[in-house]
Amino acid sequence: MQRISIDPITRLEGHGKIDIFLNEEGEVANAYFQIPELRGFEVFCVGRPAEDMPNLTDRICGVCPEAHHMAASKALDALWHVEVPPAGKKLRELMYSIFFATDHTTHFYALGGPDFIVGPDAPAAERNILGVIEKVGMDVASKVLKMRHDGHYLIQMMAARRVQPNWGLPGGVSRGINEEQRKEIEKLGRDAIEFALFSLQAFRDIVLKNKAYVDLILGDIFNHHTYSMGMVDANNRTNFYDGMIRVVDPDGKEFVKYAPKDYLNVLAEHVEPWTYLKFPYLKKVGWKGLVDGKDSGVYKATPLSRLNAADSLATPKAQEAYEEFFKTLGGKPVHATLATHWARLVELLYAAERWVELATDSEITSPNYRTIPTAVPDEGVGTVEAPRGTLTHHYKTDSRGILTEVNLIVGTTNNYAPIAMSCKKAAEKLIHKGKVTEGLLNMVEMGFRAYDPCFGCATHSLPGQMPMEVRLRGPNGEVLEVLTKNLA
Amino acid sequence: MRSLILGLGNAILGDDAVGLRVARAVAERWAETDGLSVAEEECGGLALVEQLAGFDRVLLVDAIQTGAAPGTLHHLAVGSVPTQRTATAHGINLRMALEVGRRSGMSLPAESAITILGIEAADVLTFAETLSPDVEDAVPRAVQAAEEWLSQKEDA
Repeated sequence: MQRISIDPITRLEGHGKIDIFLNEEGEVANAYFQIPELRGFEVFCVGRPAEDMPNLTDRICGVCPEAHHMAASKALDALWHVEVPPAGKKLRELMYSIFFATDHTTHFYALGGPDFIVGPDAPAAERNILGVIEKVGMDVASKVLKMRHDGHYLIQMMAARRVQPNWGLPGGVSRGINEEQRKEIEKLGRDAIEFALFSLQAFRDIVLKNKAYVDLILGDIFNHHTYSMGMVDANNRTNFYDGMIRVVDPDGKEFVKYAPKDYLNVLAEHVEPWTYLKFPYLKKVGWKGLVDGKDSGVYKATPLSRLNAADSLATPKAQEAYEEFFKTLGGKPVHATLATHWARLVELLYAAERWVELATDSEITSPNYRTIPTAVPDEGVGTVEAPRGTLTHHYKTDSRGILTEVNLIVGTTNNYAPIAMSCKKAAEKLIHKGKVTEGLLNMVEMGFRAYDPCFGCATHSLPGQMPMEVRLRGPNGEVLEVLTKNLA
Repeated sequence: MRSLILGLGNAILGDDAVGLRVARAVAERWAETDGLSVAEEECGGLALVEQLAGFDRVLLVDAIQTGAAPGTLHHLAVGSVPTQRTATAHGINLRMALEVGRRSGMSLPAESAITILGIEAADVLTFAETLSPDVEDAVPRAVQAAEEWLSQKEDA
């Protein structure tokens, strides 16, 4: 069997690579995305006070620390059996909405945008955020940086630190906001709504009016008919901070809706010998391999899957964008992986609108933002939607609150199977009889970029101007051909 | 002239924390120096560049893995071999992030005024709050290198 390795970052140790295995005929047998293991996190945590977790786990990921901070805070609520007062919940969701809007902005303009705004066939040197700026207009750089600046500034104002918050406690948060701060949050939230509307219009003008782009989105190459997961409120509307986890089948029908604490009843993990990562799948459907369809327990947890799993969005402009999304793409559910970029912009608008809703809530400046816990801690699960998928923290402690067990299912892990499937499908299209068609690297990169993967949960991360190397090996391991990209 | 010494890294990821350790040691000795700021950051890319605004000269101190002996010091320029934090940050590297910042009108130091002090790490994948011995030994040498950079600035 031949083996092709795509090594995304060859000059720094410990990064991921894609292995493509060919059969005797030179056709693709399998494609695997392998990633480095960050070792010893559970060992690092066990023996520490559980209250440390919001401030420790927000350091395991350089990309979405706020999501870990929030999941950890919710796990502490459950651990101490304490109910957060309404103002505390609203403050948390407000900060989380600000974070979501900021994070989705970065992904779209720095990572997703180059593939679509600049174009999949554009020269590699232009397929980056600078190319996006050239295409959309010079002032977009200022808008993007203002959006990021505002988000980080407000997160620091509310949660004490701008990237790694220092705020969540069992039962609530450590501080609230005053009226002056509320007004500033509201004002910047209204700017964020305008920015989200601007971004959606840019997507319409540049992507949706270009038939080649639409064909690429809807084409077979990145289409996967899997189950879709997302958190919903009592009315089955998307919620990033709290609610039930809803999974719909590949036809869009509700398959299961469960409380996050029951995740072990719904999900199981499949182990493959070639990676330390475990593939979560729907237990009742079963693991059938890296395959699509209703009989395969593979599911997605992404911006796209969240829109599929919900019945609607809770804010008016985002709901309009949601309806336009499904109408344009042929109805629910949508399985086109590349549509995830558009879904991310719809969520950006929802996050911005929710930000303003919460900033104008009459309770948001209430000083009653924490319930002091009195129960003995034992076990707790906390779940939020991270920008890149459902994120679950599960802790067990002794009666003093000292950690004895820690389990995390991070957003990207949910999508490990679909990402591998996207890589395989791109490889199948572009490798025949052992020959690699030009464009393989771009197509593979586009496939997994849509998931906004954050493997390893550290800033030693993959995407961007991703250096890649493909090695095509003969049956005896000899290198037949080497393709490289972005290797300085 | 406003100067910044910025330590980069992840405080709980073994040798990746070495940049933070060096910055802390420099701050203890030089915190009161006029025109000098010493800070620690756990980010990269655009978030890193946002911290550079308003400074004339910057020294970034960060972990790097090139295959050299652990503890080796590397004096690097923007765009040469990337260190742990300048390589990535969810999407864009330091050079591109600087360009985006400039195009948006941020007041950023010239590329030639940014120096990167990379410290060869042994292990950046295992959670720990301690450095490996060779990297620990490199901290005083890295502090000295930072002080030399500072004196060059003062001579300039």
